[in-house]
Amino acid sequence: MTAISATHLSKSFGHYHVLQNISIEIAQGECFALFGPNGSGKTTLLKIFATLQRPTSGHMAILGHDGSQGKEEIRASLMFLAHGSHLYEDLNAIENLQFALSLRGLSPSDHEIKVALDRVAIGAFSEMKVRNFSAGMKKRLALAKATLAQPQVLLLDEPFSALDTAGMEIMQNYIREVVHRQGTVLMSTHDSDKTRAIAHRAGIIRKGHLEPYDIGTSPDYGLS
Amino acid sequence: MIHKAIRRIQRLKGWFGGGAALCIFAGLYLGLIDSPPDYYQGEVVRIMYVHVPLAHTALFAYTVLFGGSVWYLWKRDPIVDNMCHACAALSAIFTALALATGMIWGKPTWNTWWTWDARLTSFIVLLLILIGYLMLRTFIDDPEKEARYAAVLAILGFVDLPIIHFSVEWWRTLHQPQSFSIRGVSISSGLLVPLFCMSVGMSLLFSYMLMVRTQLLYLTHLLHAKKGRLLSQFHLSKADS
Amino acid sequence: MAFLKVVQWIVWKDLVTEIRSRETISSMVFFALIVILIFSFSFSMNQQAAQEVIAGIIWVAFAFTGIIGLGKSFSSELQNDCLESLQMVPAPKGAIFLGKVTANFAFIFVVEILLFPMFVIFFNLDVIEEIPILLLIFFLATIGLSAVGTLFSALTVQIRAREVMLPILLLPLVVPVMIAAVEATKGALHGDPFSLYRQWVELLSIFDVVFTVVSFWLFEFVMDS
Repeated sequence: MTAISATHLSKSFGHYHVLQNISIEIAQGECFALFGPNGSGKTTLLKIFATLQRPTSGHMAILGHDGSQGKEEIRASLMFLAHGSHLYEDLNAIENLQFALSLRGLSPSDHEIKVALDRVAIGAFSEMKVRNFSAGMKKRLALAKATLAQPQVLLLDEPFSALDTAGMEIMQNYIREVVHRQGTVLMSTHDSDKTRAIAHRAGIIRKGHLEPYDIGTSPDYGLS
Repeated sequence: MIHKAIRRIQRLKGWFGGGAALCIFAGLYLGLIDSPPDYYQGEVVRIMYVHVPLAHTALFAYTVLFGGSVWYLWKRDPIVDNMCHACAALSAIFTALALATGMIWGKPTWNTWWTWDARLTSFIVLLLILIGYLMLRTFIDDPEKEARYAAVLAILGFVDLPIIHFSVEWWRTLHQPQSFSIRGVSISSGLLVPLFCMSVGMSLLFSYMLMVRTQLLYLTHLLHAKKGRLLSQFHLSKADS
Repeated sequence: MAFLKVVQWIVWKDLVTEIRSRETISSMVFFALIVILIFSFSFSMNQQAAQEVIAGIIWVAFAFTGIIGLGKSFSSELQNDCLESLQMVPAPKGAIFLGKVTANFAFIFVVEILLFPMFVIFFNLDVIEEIPILLLIFFLATIGLSAVGTLFSALTVQIRAREVMLPILLLPLVVPVMIAAVEATKGALHGDPFSLYRQWVELLSIFDVVFTVVSFWLFEFVMDS
C-alpha cells in the first residue's frame, strides 16, 4: 500500500512559489532520499507531509489518510525528526522522552527508556539536562525518541548533519530497521555516499519540481 | 480567471454608490435644513444626524467583519479574506469618525471634549481592537497565516463587544449618576425620517466602499502573484545557468 | 483518557521547567514590585486618596505582570523548535490549550498571592476579613486573563514585534475583566457588603466561561494551518 503520496502538490509563500506540481508515491517499506540545493524546498515538502504546513494546492495522503481531513491519524502514525531537536532544555534526557512519548499516548517503562538511550550511546547522560548536550547528542536523543515511538512513517530532515561517524552508523542502522519492519522513510539529504546504501530511490527538487535522481542507489539490506 | 464575485461587484457597485449619494444628500437636506432645532440643545443637535448613523454603520461594518471571518475560517476563500481586510479598515474609519462627531457634539452641549460616556468609551475600545487587527496584518508575512490569525482576532473581538459595552455602561452608571447619554434627545417623528435616511445612506456608502476596496485588494494580490511567478521562474532559471 | 493525559503532561512540563529555571515567576514578581514603587512615587497620597486608587494600581500591576508570564509561555517553546512538536501532537489542540492555560493561571495566581501582602504593607490596608472574597476575585479575573492571554500568546509568538503585539491585542479585549476586577476589589477593600459589588463578580464569571470556551475553540486555528 502507498505510504506517502502527493498529487499535484504546490506551495507558495506569498509571491514566492517554492514547490510546483509535485506528485510522488512512496510505498510501504521503501526509503526515499530527497536531494536539492539549499532553499529548494526540501524542508517545506517534508513539513507538508508532517502536516505542519498546508499546501497551496493539491493533495497529500499518508497511509491512506487525507492530509486535510485525517490530520490526527497521520500524526499518530508519523514521526518527523527535523532540524530543531524538539527537546526541552530544562528537562533531562529521560524526562524529555517521557514527555514526548506521553503526548503520543505511549508510556514506555524505565527499562525501555534505558535500552533506547544505550542504543544511541547516550545512556551515561540520561540524568543530564539537555541544556548541556552537544548538537550531536541532541540528534541522538531525538533518534532515541523515534526508536521508542516506532512510527510507521519516518520523515528525516538532513539526518546525518551534526552526527559523528558512530552516530551516522547508528542512524543508518535504524533506518534499515524501520524499512525491515515495513516502515517507510523519507529523508532529505546532501550526502549521496551515505544514502547510497540505504535508499531505494532518490529524487531532486529543481525549480520547484521533483525529478528522479540517480545516485547509484544500491540499498544494502542483507544485514539486520 | 478573475473571480466571479469580482465581476458581480463591478456590475453592482455603481448602484450602491448612487443609492448612497442619494440617501445622504436627502438626509443631509432634511436634517440640516428642513427639521426643527431641539428644544434644549438648539442647532447643535443636528450633528446627531451624522454621529448616530456613523456609529450604527461602524457596528454594522464590524458585524460584516465577524461574518466574513467566520466564513473565511470555514471556506478558506482568499477573496473573503480580502473583504475582511477592507472591512476592518473601513470599520476603523467609521468608528473614528463616530468618535470625532461624538466629541464635537459633546463640547458645546456639556462643555467637555471627553465625557467617559458609555458609548464613546466602548467605541474607543472597538477602535483599539480594530487598530490592533490592522497592525497584526502588517506584522505577518505569510498570507495564509495572516488571514487565519486576523479572523481569530475579529471573532474574539466581536464576541467581546457586548460584554465590553455592558461592563463600561455599568461602570458609568456607578460613577456618574446623571446620564450623560447621547441618547438624551427626545426623538420625535420629525427627526426620525432624516435619521433613517442618513443611516441607510451611510450603510450604502460603506457597502460601496467595501466593494471597491475588496476589488482593489484582490486585484493587487493577483498582480503580485503573477509578478512572483514570473520572478521565481526568472531567478530559478538564472540559478541554473 | 488521551485528552486529559496531554493536559496533565503539559502542565507538568511547564511547572517543572519553571521550578528548575526559576525564570518566569521571579521576573514577574520583581517587575511588579517596581511597578508598585513607581505608582507610590507618582501618587503622593493620603489615606483617603489611597483607598480610591489602590484597587486600580493592584490590577494594573497584575495585568502587566501577567502579560510578561503569558509572553514567556509560548516564546519558551521556540527554543529547539518545540512549538513544531506541539503542533504534531496526535491529540486535539484544545488539550494543549487547557494545559497551557492551567500552567499560566498557576504562575500568575502565585505571583498575585506573593504580591498582595506587599500592597497591604505599603498602603496600610486593613483587609483580614476580606481575604476569602479577594482570593475569589483574583481567582476569577486571573482565569479570564489566562484564557484569552494564552490564545494570544500562541498567536503572537510566530509574528514580528511579538512582545509589543501581545499587550496591544490582549488589553482591549480584557477591558471587562479589568473594570470588573477593579470595581469588585474596590468594594471588598472598602468593606462594602457583598451585594453591592456582586454584579462585578458575576460579570467575571460570565466572562471566564464565555472566553474559555471561545478561546478553546479558536486555539485550533492558531496552532494548525
